[in-house]
Amino acid sequence: MALSPNSVDNSTITEQLMLRLKVPTKLRNLEATLIVFAMVVTSAALALVDLGTTGKLNPPIIGLTLGLGAIVLAMHVAQRFVARDADPLILPIVTLLNGLGIVMIHRLDISAGLTGWQANATRQMVWTAIATVVAIAVIVTVRNHRVLQRYRYVWMLIGVILLMLPLVPIIGVTINGARLWVDLGFVSFQPGEIGKIALALFFAGYLVTARDSLSVVGKRMFGVTWPRIKDLGPIVIVWALAMVVLIFQRDLGTSLLYFGLFLVLMYVATGRAIWFVVGGGLFGTGALVASQFLTYVQGRFSAWLDSFNQANYEAIGGSYQLVQGIFGFASGGIIGTGLGAGHPGIVPLAESDYIVASLGEELGLVGVFAILSLYMLFVARGIRIGINGSDDFGRLLAVGLTFVIALQVFIVIGGVTRVIPVTGLTTPFLAAGGSSLVANWIIVALLLRLSDTVRHQREEVAS
Amino acid sequence: MSELTLFVLRFGFLALLWVFVFALVFALRSDLFGHYVRRRERQQGDITHNPAAESSPFLPPAESPTPARPAQKLVIIAGAREGLEIPLDADHLTIGRSAQSGLVIRDEYTSTNHARLQLWNGDWVIQDLGSTNGTFVDNQRVSVPTPVAPFTPVSVGSTIFELRP
Repeated sequence: MALSPNSVDNSTITEQLMLRLKVPTKLRNLEATLIVFAMVVTSAALALVDLGTTGKLNPPIIGLTLGLGAIVLAMHVAQRFVARDADPLILPIVTLLNGLGIVMIHRLDISAGLTGWQANATRQMVWTAIATVVAIAVIVTVRNHRVLQRYRYVWMLIGVILLMLPLVPIIGVTINGARLWVDLGFVSFQPGEIGKIALALFFAGYLVTARDSLSVVGKRMFGVTWPRIKDLGPIVIVWALAMVVLIFQRDLGTSLLYFGLFLVLMYVATGRAIWFVVGGGLFGTGALVASQFLTYVQGRFSAWLDSFNQANYEAIGGSYQLVQGIFGFASGGIIGTGLGAGHPGIVPLAESDYIVASLGEELGLVGVFAILSLYMLFVARGIRIGINGSDDFGRLLAVGLTFVIALQVFIVIGGVTRVIPVTGLTTPFLAAGGSSLVANWIIVALLLRLSDTVRHQREEVAS
Repeated sequence: MSELTLFVLRFGFLALLWVFVFALVFALRSDLFGHYVRRRERQQGDITHNPAAESSPFLPPAESPTPARPAQKLVIIAGAREGLEIPLDADHLTIGRSAQSGLVIRDEYTSTNHARLQLWNGDWVIQDLGSTNGTFVDNQRVSVPTPVAPFTPVSVGSTIFELRP
């Protein structure tokens, strides 16, 4: 801190605190500038959508971006008070992704003829507001991330309960074949989205204590140190959990997300690649067996490998959506048709699962690469926070939370572009969907908290 | 609005999107993280040149005159790395499974930071760092920093070593 020793002696703690809040910090100013920049880009996109679809500007709709700007700036102001040294790039990146998502959803509303409270964009806006308020609450209440480590088994319980909630009769609902939703009458949501954060907290907390026995113990054979049978317990339990999700909730993506998260954290914690081999083998075998017995997995695989087959294209739950998405990308080409000038509405669920295809059609390869770069920068920041972390729990948590986002991006965009079979996950921040937005904004808040702790401690060490 | 204007605007939007991405990358470059890491490394460098800086507060600096010559090397007499000799040329040596340890012992019974040998007034003293399975000097479990005479067996996990002049 830029205080001279004398002023420290003379002022009380409260005075120091007041002084500290007034000192403008470089990081927060950078963040504010970039947030304003992100808002400019979002407004430009919105204006282009209106120009492209109606040929004239529609001033009231600019309220969408102003609303987004106001709530993100509220988060920014909150950070000036409680997380002064947090990473300045995460919030602008997320603002732009969230903004581009709202713009694209609004554009799809126009082609579907939805307005007012019927419009998905309005709902997405409301959810963004809720998500940001939750994120502010998290960053204000969680002042020290190490406290979270203490409740690791509570997180496990919460995670498993949230994961299993959709299987409960009456409240659990099946939408589009996957049993991932809970309907409480007034609101329906995907508890698994919040569950993934609880599980990331649990995995990080658990692996900090278990890493020693997992990392060095075992017999050496064929140049590889094999884990002991009794150390395989945790990985088998998580695998079983992932298989339950795969078989009973019928969701390949979520299953892959939880298991992948655990494997990556295990690898980061122990530095042993053998866990990847063991885990990958377990999941691969499970998925292969499932694909033989579960028709939905089978359908996903054949739709992926043989998308352009007429029979697959016409089958219910076949490759129609995937192929339409690819046609969208194709008609977009390198620079896209331009916002408001394509036909992204043809693809079913274009505003949620296939939002990347919609963006690809109207912004082209250049635009999709820009969006992927934003994700890449976000993930790079998250891993950076992990590398610089001061304690093992913080490190693992930062890497785990970041990886949740990274894996989701890979699974969704990989599915839409036919790199891997299509699975039902949401594109973080872009896709329409309340639970996913809230969960991802909580991840943002936790990462900001972790990055604040990192720099804060550095300063204490350096001074 | 003409088709051409719209095209230019759309092109401009893509450019704006990329300007944002590059603005982020530019901000990353001037980010403070790198600065702090450098400063930290320099501090660590200072520590190796100034042994007194890291030693426990109750220990006097190691440069104090020594009447007898302290043990010069550590020899492992039993365990996975039997026969290994480590010269004791610094004023302390850390023992544990962590790769940062001066003596790395990898087995089931060793903790990450297991014990620490410290030169204290010309004598080597071993201090257990709260290990799970303990450190033994002459088959006695160590609870306080204990002097280690030459040729006394010290066991950490399944490894036994002794100090030799």
